[in-house]
Amino acid sequence: MQPLLASALAPARAPHIWGLGSATFVEPGYEHIIELVHQRDADARRHLEALELGLYDPGGTLLRREAVDTREETLDLAALLGDQGPGSRIMIVFDARYDERIFPYRPHHYAYLRRRGGSAPALYYAVSSALGGVPDRIGAQRITHFETYLFLRRPHKERYSVMVGNLSRFASTEAQLTTYYTGGARATREVALGPKAHAEIPLAAEHEGRRIERVELKAPFRLASYVVGRREPDGELVLFDHLFTYFK
Amino acid sequence: MTPATSAPPDDGLLLCYCTNLTVGELREACQSGRWPLADKERTGKLCTGCVGDLLYCLKAFGGRDVE
Repeated sequence: MQPLLASALAPARAPHIWGLGSATFVEPGYEHIIELVHQRDADARRHLEALELGLYDPGGTLLRREAVDTREETLDLAALLGDQGPGSRIMIVFDARYDERIFPYRPHHYAYLRRRGGSAPALYYAVSSALGGVPDRIGAQRITHFETYLFLRRPHKERYSVMVGNLSRFASTEAQLTTYYTGGARATREVALGPKAHAEIPLAAEHEGRRIERVELKAPFRLASYVVGRREPDGELVLFDHLFTYFK
Repeated sequence: MTPATSAPPDDGLLLCYCTNLTVGELREACQSGRWPLADKERTGKLCTGCVGDLLYCLKAFGGRDVE
């Protein structure tokens, strides 16, 4: 573990500066570019006040912190990792600060993901946000930490899984992952996650001959989560997308 | 959901990203019996991933739980 750098966020603590915490997962061998400028905000450079990254191993150990120059338009995660490239999955936490005028539009970081030398199409996704954002600003009366993902109705040739990470600083949690199959069958797994810990949970594409239809993630608070599809037999990513939250 | 660390929270840490509440603001409010603060009463009610940390800090500071 490297010593912490001085926080890039400290100067940004002012009443009109609000935070958004999000995270993605990085594996070796992929181009992985994160967009820092937000296309729906013409003055995005002015509004993104600060961004600090935290890199965590699956057990939640902080490997490194990195302040990002907010004048940059994109962030190359493979270059960021460099020689310290992961031997396994690493969770990268984006701790961003924005001028409050950017809300209620939630300024997702959008990402491009493609295996080097791979043959599968590039993947584009919005980085999963878990801290802050919309709920207090859209007039929601209740919020559940219940997320779901619907699979396409076609034969599945990929291996599916869910990547999930706990962005808490102090709190451990247990998440419940339920997979639903045609005809109503379902299978449930639980995973315990300490602060900043993360896991990849395999999903069976079939259960007693029934095809997977959807997956749901329940937790006491919002986690960073993605549904992942890997092509057989080489494991190249062909799906990487966040689950969807329902507000009540 | 359980506390996982006994490390004292840093006052400057942004605790609730949904209501812009810092650890220090919560600590001070709890110690002076002013929690929930007038402009932060929605903290913990419409939160996202902040809830676990909020409950941890409320317990650490002796504050009233989220209703």
